[in-house]
Amino acid sequence: MNNRVRITKLILWSIVGFAGAVGITRFLFGLGATTNLTDATPWGIWIGFDVMAGVALAAGGFVITAIFYIFKREEFHSFVRPAVLTAFLGYLAVVFGLLFDLGLPWNIWHMMIYWNPHSPLFEVGWCVMLYTTVLLLEFSPVPLEETSRYARIRRILMKFRFPLVLLGIMLSTLHQSSLGSLFLIMPFKLHPLWYSHILPLLFFISAVALGLMMIAYESLVSHWLFRRKPETNLVEKLAKAAVWVLSIYFIVKMADIWLSGEWHLMFDGSWESYLFILEMLISTVIPIILFSIKKVRTSTAGQWVGSSMVVFGMIFNRINVGGLTMLRATGDTYVPSWMEITISLGVVSAACLAFLFAIERFHIWKEKPQDPEWEPYTPPVFDHTSEVWLGTPPLAARTKYTLVLLLSFALGFALIPSHKIESKGVEIVPVQKARGGDTLFIDGNHDEYGVLFAHTQHIDSLGQKQSCDKCHHMNMPMDKATGCWECHRYMYSPTDAFNHDWHADAHGGNIACTQCHPKGKERQAETAKKCDDCHLDLLPSDNPIKVENYTAPPYVTAMHELCVSCHKKKAEELSDKKNLALCTTCHQSAPPKYLKAEISKHLSGPYFNHVVIPGVNLKQEKEQLHKNE
Amino acid sequence: MSVAILTDITKCIGCLECVSACKTVNNLGTDVPRVWQKNDGLSAQNWTSVLQKPGNHYIRKQCRHCLEPACASVCPVGALQKTPEGPVIYDSERCLGCRYCMMACPYGIPRYDWDQVVPYIRKCIMCYDRLQRGQQPACTEVCPQKATIFGERDELLAEAHHRIKQEPDTYIHKVWGEHEVGGTSVLYISDIDLGFLAYQPNPGATPLPATTRLAMKAVPFAFVGMGGRCMESTGLFDDG
Repeated sequence: MNNRVRITKLILWSIVGFAGAVGITRFLFGLGATTNLTDATPWGIWIGFDVMAGVALAAGGFVITAIFYIFKREEFHSFVRPAVLTAFLGYLAVVFGLLFDLGLPWNIWHMMIYWNPHSPLFEVGWCVMLYTTVLLLEFSPVPLEETSRYARIRRILMKFRFPLVLLGIMLSTLHQSSLGSLFLIMPFKLHPLWYSHILPLLFFISAVALGLMMIAYESLVSHWLFRRKPETNLVEKLAKAAVWVLSIYFIVKMADIWLSGEWHLMFDGSWESYLFILEMLISTVIPIILFSIKKVRTSTAGQWVGSSMVVFGMIFNRINVGGLTMLRATGDTYVPSWMEITISLGVVSAACLAFLFAIERFHIWKEKPQDPEWEPYTPPVFDHTSEVWLGTPPLAARTKYTLVLLLSFALGFALIPSHKIESKGVEIVPVQKARGGDTLFIDGNHDEYGVLFAHTQHIDSLGQKQSCDKCHHMNMPMDKATGCWECHRYMYSPTDAFNHDWHADAHGGNIACTQCHPKGKERQAETAKKCDDCHLDLLPSDNPIKVENYTAPPYVTAMHELCVSCHKKKAEELSDKKNLALCTTCHQSAPPKYLKAEISKHLSGPYFNHVVIPGVNLKQEKEQLHKNE
Repeated sequence: MSVAILTDITKCIGCLECVSACKTVNNLGTDVPRVWQKNDGLSAQNWTSVLQKPGNHYIRKQCRHCLEPACASVCPVGALQKTPEGPVIYDSERCLGCRYCMMACPYGIPRYDWDQVVPYIRKCIMCYDRLQRGQQPACTEVCPQKATIFGERDELLAEAHHRIKQEPDTYIHKVWGEHEVGGTSVLYISDIDLGFLAYQPNPGATPLPATTRLAMKAVPFAFVGMGGRCMESTGLFDDG
């Protein structure tokens, strides 16, 4: 039995199961929870690899049909079916992968009814749609030969074979190049070494080269997998052709860079320049050199090395154009999350499994390779005497694959980080103490942009000492005026004001549970003792602010609710002082004169140097004040 | 005639009234900094923001409503459209969430509802519904300093040049948005350089859609040409 196939399938199934769990998470919780995409990098690895590289990798289909049907090279007959199958599965994978990336994937059909012919993406979308259909029609005679029932359909399809091939080549020419046109609109973002007005042409030439090498690579891999004799002679011919196409690509690319005067960028020592040189070496220069040597070209090892370099080099190229080299312009640091990578791998693995399935069932090759786990499926039979179903359940024949799939599916769910999904991407910004003396400068995150708060003035207008709890609505034990920042600890996310660990420790560790949680009941926050059962002075008697579950709302919310609601009320009471409720009254770039004087009077000692108020030079103000006096 | 907004950086005091008004009028949620936001204050819930630069300079950032918008030209379903009145508006019913508009915008304006399971593109639409009711955008209406004003584009351009002429020492002699990427409907005059608003300080006067137009025009020729070339190689034309 062939262990290579079995192990490969086990690995592929486990990746598919893993990706399945992540895929479900993506649709349940959205893009923000599963990807590292940002507003500055809206296209990530799902576009760069799944779509851009995926379409390019599927170029083998149109290249081989062109070689076989148009240029009439009959010797490549054995490559046609595998290459068309690869292309078909490749396009299905691209469309399937795109569904994960689209924000509203159920609207993908909108491209058919809402037209915008100016958009390169519109054209790519249509071409991919049509070409996938063409590939389906090109490939479907193969499974149809398995049964004589559909012989008529098959005959009709075979009749239209040539027009289909022609249409396929025409469509491929268009969208392989149009994938390059997508990026013509981003001259300011894409690095000049990759940006070029002839991007469509470069994409097309490289797709042809990649198509040739993809046929070779796929032949090498599948023959290795099924322990068959590699088709060395034919691959050698492909390699020879690839040398020509790659050389044209190299010359055009270098000429383009030379003519646009960006030559020096290749050697300026930036990471992009190294990336570019690496990409050119892997995808073009080294394969050209390798395949120019006849000894390398005809050896299986040489073919392996050369073709995989082109394949991975061109994937690299598509990822570079697809967003990697825009990071300097956007100032972003995008690294794909492991969930993005998993989905990408999962889609590729599913396509590989489908390929293996097809190769074992249909006449892709002259003789079908046998699946080691294959047993013909017989439906279970209901036995009326014992009242049980007899026979093997459908999945039992492939117990190992099913087991691996389910296990990795479960593992995938177990590994999904709950914090990323729950936090909804909110940044944790800790709040710090408001600065100042009597006049406070309230800017919780210390970004020098905040609100000036005249403490004495507020006490005077709100009713002297009794008014403290109007703002200090909940205090730490033994305190009468706890600072806002002590409970509202985060700028934008709520804080649990109750410190569970501290209470447990203070009451004696594990034996302390029952002091708050009643015996015999579930230990939950709802059933436990309330804070003010012990801390009698925690909540002032007549305070206007309700405390719910001892969860402190975000600092920003708390401040706005407290200040704005009061100021709005005051503004209505004093009809001539509408300004009281305007944002400008507090968020000022330049505080009014009296407040300046107030600040200069009260700011002294250790706080003085720390206070920065936009638009006010405090030292100058203070000196001026002294002079006046 | 198309409408426009002119923002005078020298007059802005950074009070954020425009941001607040924008939120109220467009029913935007609370603004919470998220890890996926670019640090310029714009977000799915913040369609305009005020950037602070050293020396008390406040720059209001918002959609520029380009005369030839890159976002609208690349949208495969035409969900973003430039209206004849001036604003670039968004039709969420059509959108399929490809985010090509975000990639194409030279100013990095469109934002995305990353935290939503059903996400949409979010950006300033110059209060298009208010314009249709004969009102002006909320931001220009509330500005206490008249630092950002609304009007016909031609008149605002004239006003901008007039102000520069009046105080040539204060202003930099340039109206941002007059020619940039083919002109925009949101104009700025300033005493500091505003190159940082775009991905490239001097984006040039060529509208971005022109870059893809040539490639798109070549599409039918490439299609027919390739077909013809293939048929020629197979000898189909030789029969005649």
